[in-house]
Amino acid sequence: MPVERSAGGTSLIDVLDRVLDKGIVIDAWVRASLVGIDLVTVEARIVVASSDTYLKYSEAVGQAATVSRPAVESKQYEEVLAENAALRAQLTRGAAARRAVRRRRTRAPS
Amino acid sequence: MSRPSSSVRRGAGRAAPPVKNMSKSPSTKAARSNGAARRRVESRTGAEKKTAPSGPHIEHAATLPGSRGKYVYCIIEAPLPLKFGPIGIGADPSDVHTVHFRNLAAVVSDAPLEVLDSTRAHVLAHERVNETVMREHTVIPMSFGTIFKTREDIVELLRSAAEAFGDVLDKMQNKLEFGLKILRDRQQAIREVEVDDEDISRLKQEISGQKGATYFARMQYGRLVDAALESRSERYVAQILDELRDVSVASRINKPIGDTMIMNAAFLISRDRESAFDARVKSIASRFDTLTFKYTGPWPPYNFVNIRLKLERA
Repeated sequence: MPVERSAGGTSLIDVLDRVLDKGIVIDAWVRASLVGIDLVTVEARIVVASSDTYLKYSEAVGQAATVSRPAVESKQYEEVLAENAALRAQLTRGAAARRAVRRRRTRAPS
Repeated sequence: MSRPSSSVRRGAGRAAPPVKNMSKSPSTKAARSNGAARRRVESRTGAEKKTAPSGPHIEHAATLPGSRGKYVYCIIEAPLPLKFGPIGIGADPSDVHTVHFRNLAAVVSDAPLEVLDSTRAHVLAHERVNETVMREHTVIPMSFGTIFKTREDIVELLRSAAEAFGDVLDKMQNKLEFGLKILRDRQQAIREVEVDDEDISRLKQEISGQKGATYFARMQYGRLVDAALESRSERYVAQILDELRDVSVASRINKPIGDTMIMNAAFLISRDRESAFDARVKSIASRFDTLTFKYTGPWPPYNFVNIRLKLERA
């Protein structure tokens, strides 16, 4: 089937596939905070976490590592742990409260 | 994408050594001289900044409506200031210009100081600027949505990652990315394997003969068809990759999207081989008349560059 080349910017899907998580990538939360942090005055600084180029020719499907989206990268591990603990505490509080209500109810008629 | 910690360490090692030293051991000589440089930058910043409030605390942009930051599109090598015209992001496209540190330049434009939604218009504007700059420069594309508060912050970015940027710019010198997706019409492909594969065609006849229960035959038929389609598309892809090898510098295979796609690849091509690659793709496409080719580019080398940056407290 004959094919024509189309310029990059003509397909939104192809653009999104590239611009969201490829090239120079800054952590999502950093990206959000850069807007507020004055790097120079708060003495926070940008460091290179990793730098790679891919200059190999892939042999066939399955042999090359696929480029995947950083699905959960935006949430720090500690943050998730903290949220977890908070939710657990909430759950036990809820259960205790329910037990107390039940006890009162069963005691009331007698 | 989770990277092994070894690669993270290696990456950090490649960053400008004074920066690393400073964070790890503030008592070294390098750190002291670097600290002095920092103070100089600070005092200069303090003198230049008149409107933007500054202070040691983090300020959230959301609380400062109307303030402007700088959106970064890509990093190039350019010793002198450049202008690319009013093609920037936003409803009222701002002038795209450069911010420099030594030989490196960030291509930027003024933008509202707030987290930018990845709307169609914004994302396409990001790409449009990259494509414009790419016509005459080798670019390292920035992923979408990075806004810095001040010009000095961007100089700081360039300075911190100068070594990584320089290294990657060298490797990407005069190279372009092209995208090639190959789609297959599943129904047509099934008709093909039914003709070509003896077992499949026999089972199909058995099933259509409707003698007795066909459940088992149907299951078997389905399995065989899937396997035949799979091996056939793998063969096509291997063959196509092989034919594009000598006109490419590198290739990257991404996960196919959806049911009909059998290949989702990106190729890194030398500028001087662009027409050779182009001709090769077209000749391949004309021979595979049951496949649909989606051929795009030139792109900045998104698929061949991966620089991850993070923020570190001093």
